[in-house]
Amino acid sequence: MKVNKKSWLAIGGIAVASIILAGCSSSNASDDSSKDDAATTLTVWVDTERVDAMKGAVEAYEDKTGVTVKLVGKDNGKIKDDFIQQVPTGKGPDVVMGAHDWLGELSTNGVVAPIELGDSADDYLPVALQASTYEGTTYMLPYAVENIAILRNADLIPEAATSFDDMIAKGKAAGLETPFVVEQGVEGNPYHLYPFQTAFGAPVFGTDAEGNYDPTDLQIGNEGGFQFATWLGAQGAAGNFNTDITGDIAKTKFTTGEAAFWLTGPWNVSAATDAGINVAIDAVPSPTGEVASPFAGVKGFFVSSESKNKVAANDFLVNYIGTEDVQLDLFKAGNVLPALKVAADTAASDPIIAGFQKVGADAVPMPAIPAMGAVWQYWGIAEAAIINGEDPTATWQKLTDDVSAAITK
Amino acid sequence: MAEERLPYPEKTVAQQAVLTTAAGGTAEEAELMVGGIGQFPRAEKPVRRRSFGRWFADTGWRHLIAVVVSLFAIFPLLYVLSASLNSNGTLIGSNRLFGEFSFDSYVRMLTNPDVPYPMWFLNTMIVAVVTGFTMVFIGALAAYAFSRMRFAGRRVGLITIVVVQMFPQLLAVVAIFLMMTAIGDWFPAIGLNTLSGLILIYLGGALGVNTYLMYGFFNTIPKELDEAAKIDGAGHARIFFTIILRLVAPILAVVGLLAFIGIVNEYVIASVMLIDPDKKTLVVGLTQLVSNPRYADWSAFSAGAVMAAIPVVVLFLLLQKYIVGGLTAGATKG
Amino acid sequence: MTDTVTTEAADKAPPQTPKQRSAARIADAAGGKLRWLVLKIVLLAIVDAIAVYAVFVLLAHGEWLVLSLVAAVTILVNWIYFSRKAIPAKYLTPGIILLVVFQIFTLSYTAYIGFTNYGTGHNGTKDQAISSLMSSSLVRVEDSPTYDVTVVERFNELGLLVTDPTDGDVSLGTNTQPLEPVDIASDGTVDGWTSLSFADVLQRSDEVEALAVPYSDDPNDGAIRTQDGQKGYLYVSTLDYDPVADTMTDTTTGTVYTDTGSGAFTSETGEQLLPGWQVFVGFDNFVRAVTDASIRGPLLAVTAWTFVFAIVSVASTFFLGLLLALVFQNKRMRFKNGYRSMLILPYAFPAFLSALIWAGMMNKSFGFINQVLLGGAEIPWLTDPWLAKISILIVNLWLGFPYMFLVCMGALQGIPEEVNEAGVMDGANPWQIFRRIKLPLLLVTVSPLLIASFAFNFNNFNLIYMLTGGGPRFTDVSIPVGQTDILISMVYKVAFTGQNRDYGLAAAFSILIFIVVAVISIISFRKTKALEELN
Repeated sequence: MKVNKKSWLAIGGIAVASIILAGCSSSNASDDSSKDDAATTLTVWVDTERVDAMKGAVEAYEDKTGVTVKLVGKDNGKIKDDFIQQVPTGKGPDVVMGAHDWLGELSTNGVVAPIELGDSADDYLPVALQASTYEGTTYMLPYAVENIAILRNADLIPEAATSFDDMIAKGKAAGLETPFVVEQGVEGNPYHLYPFQTAFGAPVFGTDAEGNYDPTDLQIGNEGGFQFATWLGAQGAAGNFNTDITGDIAKTKFTTGEAAFWLTGPWNVSAATDAGINVAIDAVPSPTGEVASPFAGVKGFFVSSESKNKVAANDFLVNYIGTEDVQLDLFKAGNVLPALKVAADTAASDPIIAGFQKVGADAVPMPAIPAMGAVWQYWGIAEAAIINGEDPTATWQKLTDDVSAAITK
Repeated sequence: MAEERLPYPEKTVAQQAVLTTAAGGTAEEAELMVGGIGQFPRAEKPVRRRSFGRWFADTGWRHLIAVVVSLFAIFPLLYVLSASLNSNGTLIGSNRLFGEFSFDSYVRMLTNPDVPYPMWFLNTMIVAVVTGFTMVFIGALAAYAFSRMRFAGRRVGLITIVVVQMFPQLLAVVAIFLMMTAIGDWFPAIGLNTLSGLILIYLGGALGVNTYLMYGFFNTIPKELDEAAKIDGAGHARIFFTIILRLVAPILAVVGLLAFIGIVNEYVIASVMLIDPDKKTLVVGLTQLVSNPRYADWSAFSAGAVMAAIPVVVLFLLLQKYIVGGLTAGATKG
Repeated sequence: MTDTVTTEAADKAPPQTPKQRSAARIADAAGGKLRWLVLKIVLLAIVDAIAVYAVFVLLAHGEWLVLSLVAAVTILVNWIYFSRKAIPAKYLTPGIILLVVFQIFTLSYTAYIGFTNYGTGHNGTKDQAISSLMSSSLVRVEDSPTYDVTVVERFNELGLLVTDPTDGDVSLGTNTQPLEPVDIASDGTVDGWTSLSFADVLQRSDEVEALAVPYSDDPNDGAIRTQDGQKGYLYVSTLDYDPVADTMTDTTTGTVYTDTGSGAFTSETGEQLLPGWQVFVGFDNFVRAVTDASIRGPLLAVTAWTFVFAIVSVASTFFLGLLLALVFQNKRMRFKNGYRSMLILPYAFPAFLSALIWAGMMNKSFGFINQVLLGGAEIPWLTDPWLAKISILIVNLWLGFPYMFLVCMGALQGIPEEVNEAGVMDGANPWQIFRRIKLPLLLVTVSPLLIASFAFNFNNFNLIYMLTGGGPRFTDVSIPVGQTDILISMVYKVAFTGQNRDYGLAAAFSILIFIVVAVISIISFRKTKALEELN
């Protein structure tokens, strides 16, 4: 019958085709499976906006050592989570670019390997070194130290302000309705308000003898904290802080001249100068007379604990990224103060960078300990509520209670 | 069985037309047949004389609603357009829309070597078109089976494929990464960082709500058509390809368009799968431009988004005639 | 009555002579049927060839489970398409295979995670945790210098040639042999040992990392290790791992940490050494999900809002979409295409971009709506509890109506025009025709979509997160949950607190929510089945 003949034909055809295909491909497969590991490959994850800066350094390194470096640009919002998820599978990168406050989480998850800076440790700015170390072990090769400062429109206000009230007064005298802007948001932005908090003597955590943050010593609720809360409420009522001001709105106000003082970081300097503003960098004017210390965020590179090429990774980082040329390359891309002392000095020939550096001398590293996560959850909302008129003392007390409860949970 | 009794036995205009053509008739014959059942336009009243009141009662109010809702639909998008024309600005920093006017961002997006926008565009089109077509086809196959055949587990199967899609995709990222790295080890061509792998993952969702939707539409096609065709000697496959598919064109077009749009805008899975800049799709590539709020380039992103919306609108206009048009000229539904 | 039709239907034409009949059959087969058959064979041949290739590759990798699955599925597919009986299966197979491979896997993986403690601190395997703990526990010996080292090799065993910078002494040791002074030849090599080039060092990277040359016979003096093959440092380890007893001992405090089965080394006082590892925890996560005290407070409010949000979203988008589809069902209306293109634009832009824009427009002090449309009003669209909910519904309407519009446009085509005429003849006005006849018919086709849309919005995490982040926070609750949080976003906030990501708990929560949604959906489907029967 026709059907059966056709089936035989079909089966025969299939058999022949399959064998031919399989033969070709298995020879291909066996070629692929005998991977030649003649060249070591380092996979490096960087933020997409830094890929360009790294390209030059990477090519030079490849020429020097013959190690192939594969740069992968990653989404800034997902790079940390992807790294933590992928390292245990063995398919993660060898090196990842990140920030020092990741260290608590990275170390708890066991995904980073220690780096030994050796003698070159002294070549880095002290705050960079301190931030790269967690529980006594160094994990990060720092390349940039960033902190916020006051951007002043030097055309509108020729002199720096001496205190917070002086700043507002100077701005009002120049005829501005909103003399001072800082990025806030509906959920608050405690990162930017921190210098004011430290000016009242209320850091988040106390530090031990070596300068490490102590998660059992929550200082945010000390007397200075309550004084800060009261001050914040008053300033909110006076309109100097507004939770409706987002980063975009603050930027627009400063670049159009509606505001003369902008508390922000080096990442926004180019936006201001591009708009034609004559920018000067000042220290954060303190409301109390004590120093207003902002947070310092240190950026650096981590080595994956599951990397198969730790020797190459360490060589790449310590002996190569840790050199002046590469640090300056990275500086040119992000305009943030380099972490290597000699590079920092070179970069500080730019008065704006010098200004940030001066403020950075007073900066304190953001706590990297896991307990800090509990603080971030409640901190911004509490400050936003105070700015919008809630009772400062009660709100700050609730903040302290919530955070203590979350830490001990 | 109640399910077999379809809601309305009369053939629609389109169905009659297709039946005629499928039975071997020509377009003219179809028109003639159609003429008997379909509606001819009533004797036209002289158009000039229609008063404003009549026009309003008939079409004017439709225009009113259309204009109001269109405004509602468009005005947030004006921000995007405005930001794309303002190369230094922010997205929502200021309410002064269209203050600046320059095509810098568009040029930047198309020519910047670090931002391979044309590649992204191409990748997205490939993935969306291939997946869209295949999804519609597979869905239609399944809908035909569910609609026309009786087999054990039919009702349960239908509900299952819809309910499966409701599962929260919380850990989908991790799961997909694990699975695709394993597959990539064995079959690099469809593993991580390949468009084919991405297409396969999307096709995993081919059977879903869209199938149920098609099933519902398939049910509106009277079984009598099938039986008539069977009498003429057609097998189930022939019935499917030559008769049914043409009659369900509206829902196929709708599902195709929805699938296309959904895939063009899909971010989570594409961002896990595609790593090399040259392989990325539009949404993944564009989102990276603004993922870091400190260095977000909203102007370039907006320009990219505006250009990315164009194929969607174009496809919609192309598919229009299948969605709302009839199969023979003049045999519109309404 | 059976619907299954064989490909060789009996010829029902007027009776022909046997010769004519067989001639007709041949002609027929030579025509369409042959074409179909050849096509089918070619497709199957391709599928089988791919399967055989896959089997070979899997064989090379030794993946027996996957291999047997592939083989079994291929045989099944072949049987389905060659057999004359399994007709529904022929249509359903491609979709089902894709569904099972690519969707069911993610489902099962999520379910699996729900039974483990995967999350922060339990990120990998036990071996990975141990090696991570050991490498983090290395501490430089005080005042020890930076040694210049060279990696050397003898008989495939690696050693370190160490030069002390303080006195220039050169010594050599291996993992088992402590440092001993050696004489170096004039070219810097040691007799019997070869120095590895940098490339060689890179090749044997894992061996080099494992090199720990004891400084002396006393283990308390520490060992020299190198990280880059060029410099070496003297380390002492603060943790000691005993593989036999499976314990970690802290050498500075003497505390002993044992593996208690909870996924981390734990001391007697309950202190855990992190990183730990993933372990199976059974139903722990589910129990915690149900009994967690912190969510009990807002649970009712959040659940109620979730239902309201999902139902109102579906209803509003459906009605607007349907209204528009009906509005455009008019031949004389001009510019229809223009309107329709504008109306689907919201659907053509990425949702997160739109959400950001709406959030900006609804900004209380500076947003477009307050400043421009309402002339300087200060309405707290996103921060007042009630207004925030209304804003979310408005934005979801904006995001969702084009979808419903498209669907209704297509679905309306399935309703024949005679229905309209019949209604007119019965004396009904357009509204009655619509309500009594068209709408029920439409709902039959569209109701599964409404149910699915309900399920989608029930879990519409993205919108809530992007527009309000959960909205104005509840002031009296200890977890950071707000007035516009829906169940799934609350789950995120509970499971991912601060830096702590508890994937196991989140998976358990998701499964519980899924069960709720699935039950509701299945019940709704039963009702629509009844709807079909009514018609």
